[in-house]
Amino acid sequence: MNLIRLLLGGLAVATISVSGTAHAAPDGRELYIEHCSGCHQMEGQSGIGLPLLNAKLADVSDKYLQSTIRLGRPGRVMPAFQRLSDAQVGAIVKFLRQRSETTEIAYAEEPVVGDAAHGHTLYTEHCIKCHGADGSGEGQGTGVTTSRERTFLVMPASISNPGFLASAPDQMIRRVIHVGRKSSGMPSFDSKLSETDIDDLVAFVRSFEQQARSVAEIDADERPTHVFESPHDFETTVNNVKAALTGANFRIFPDRLLEQGLTDEFSVNTRQVGVRFCNFNVLYGMLKIEPRLGVVLPCRITIMEREGGEVILVVPNLRVISRWFNNDELVGLWDRMEETFTNIIDEATL
Amino acid sequence: MKTATLKMFLLGAVLVIAHASVADNMIMARVPLRAEIVLEYVKASVEEHGYTVAHLQLCDGGMQDFGYKSDFYRVVFFGKVDEVRMVSEHYPELVSYLPLKIAVIAEKDETLLTVLNPEALAPFFPDEALQIQLGRWQSDLVSIFNDVRRAVGARIVSNH
Ligand code: HEC
Ligand code: HEC
Repeated sequence: MNLIRLLLGGLAVATISVSGTAHAAPDGRELYIEHCSGCHQMEGQSGIGLPLLNAKLADVSDKYLQSTIRLGRPGRVMPAFQRLSDAQVGAIVKFLRQRSETTEIAYAEEPVVGDAAHGHTLYTEHCIKCHGADGSGEGQGTGVTTSRERTFLVMPASISNPGFLASAPDQMIRRVIHVGRKSSGMPSFDSKLSETDIDDLVAFVRSFEQQARSVAEIDADERPTHVFESPHDFETTVNNVKAALTGANFRIFPDRLLEQGLTDEFSVNTRQVGVRFCNFNVLYGMLKIEPRLGVVLPCRITIMEREGGEVILVVPNLRVISRWFNNDELVGLWDRMEETFTNIIDEATL
Repeated sequence: MKTATLKMFLLGAVLVIAHASVADNMIMARVPLRAEIVLEYVKASVEEHGYTVAHLQLCDGGMQDFGYKSDFYRVVFFGKVDEVRMVSEHYPELVSYLPLKIAVIAEKDETLLTVLNPEALAPFFPDEALQIQLGRWQSDLVSIFNDVRRAVGARIVSNH
């Protein structure tokens, strides 16, 4: 074993001396731009994600940051960065420290002991209007995405999220309640609550760990689309789909052939058409929850005539797609919408 | 002095080898330039990667009627006809995901580019040929985002 280590070690040294920077430490800034700036912005001003500004960074430990990167926020948009190496995660944290010129507060691990029942009462009084009864945050969406109206300066974080609870020690939660997150609109409770009250609140926040996740897993055999056979010919199927969509209050866009725009009008296959539709009112509501929704828009039912004359309809499976966004709010909404889609197909293929 | 510092910073931003983020099912990149301009870069890069831009979906008009604040929300649809034909013939289940599409979303003076990572579909299709296809789309999309970021970075530096 040691021999291999030695060999590999020797090799590494040799490579460095030849190629210079080949084994340089990972570049935290580069990694931040690559993995974090999309949601947190270049300077941490926040977007889909929460602010990562100096005042906040000065109040958290490096361990909290590392753990948050690793675990993300399951069901609350931020992905778990499992594929980054420890060195890469360390480099991102180091970059955040340098950018903000902050040093960490290393919190003691000892749990806060408090009366969760009394904490619940205080929570209802002081916290529920922002963080919601189940701790998952009031209002729609996350962070400060500029492209939608917001009821809050910054959308309150989910404090019942398993990624948060696993990353934040009790002592840190305690401190957040003490000092607040002022630039984000969360007030300090220093003057309103006693030390014991705050301990009770921490105990209550910790009890969210017992809360089950509201979103159901999907069956292992679910497919990314549903494929249906139509008992009708191509034209009738297209017309039926449109009639059913109109009946369900969707606005229908002009048809587009699947290959349209990709080839000239003479060779384009005219027996493959996408019926595209939208309900702007519903869409607007959904974009507040998930600004990246455009990657699956507009809704489309594709109708294709196959070689033997058989006509099929291909419909996206919303249950599968919604889970790709790691956004439980969207999942809840789309799980209910699946039924609308099923009804439309039922009607069109009657 | 201030401009010089900014220039240094931006130069740094360009020299850093840009990599679009592949955070599991979504590929994202933030570009520090207005969306109208970034859209042109996206279209150019898509074509340089051998794809044809099929069409551009304007989403903001309809949404503005409902108070959506983004002044710019576009979806660029693109593909290669041979690939679309291969998929519609052999994997009809997949046609809902074609042509490929990139969302170009304005966030004030910056732009967020987002695309569904085609590899999110890989677990559903063990077929080797399709695995290769999905992987190729993924690496093309990452490359497109990286090119846009570099080109925009270079433009910003040369403007200062
Ligand atoms: C797809 C969007 C997205 C990406 C990419 C992302 N985040 Fe987040 N991040 C979020 C969201 C959303 C939250 C807040 C969740 C909530 O509201 O409960 C968050 C929360 C955080 C928090 C906790 C903030 C607090 O107030 O305690 C930290 C720290 C963080 N992210 C760091 C990072 C880092 C570092 C990266 C890159 C490795 C990253 N994030 C990538 C969306 C993202
Ligand atoms: C006016 C709204 C508001 C009230 C009231 C409020 N909060 Fe917050 N809270 C927020 C916002 C917004 C954030 C996210 C700010 C940020 O991270 O930049 C937050 C963050 C937190 C966090 C850190 C979460 C994280 O991911 O970093 C904790 C813990 C927390 N709040 C607990 C509480 C408790 C307990 C109470 C009641 C005593 C409370 N908050 C009251 C708005 C509020």
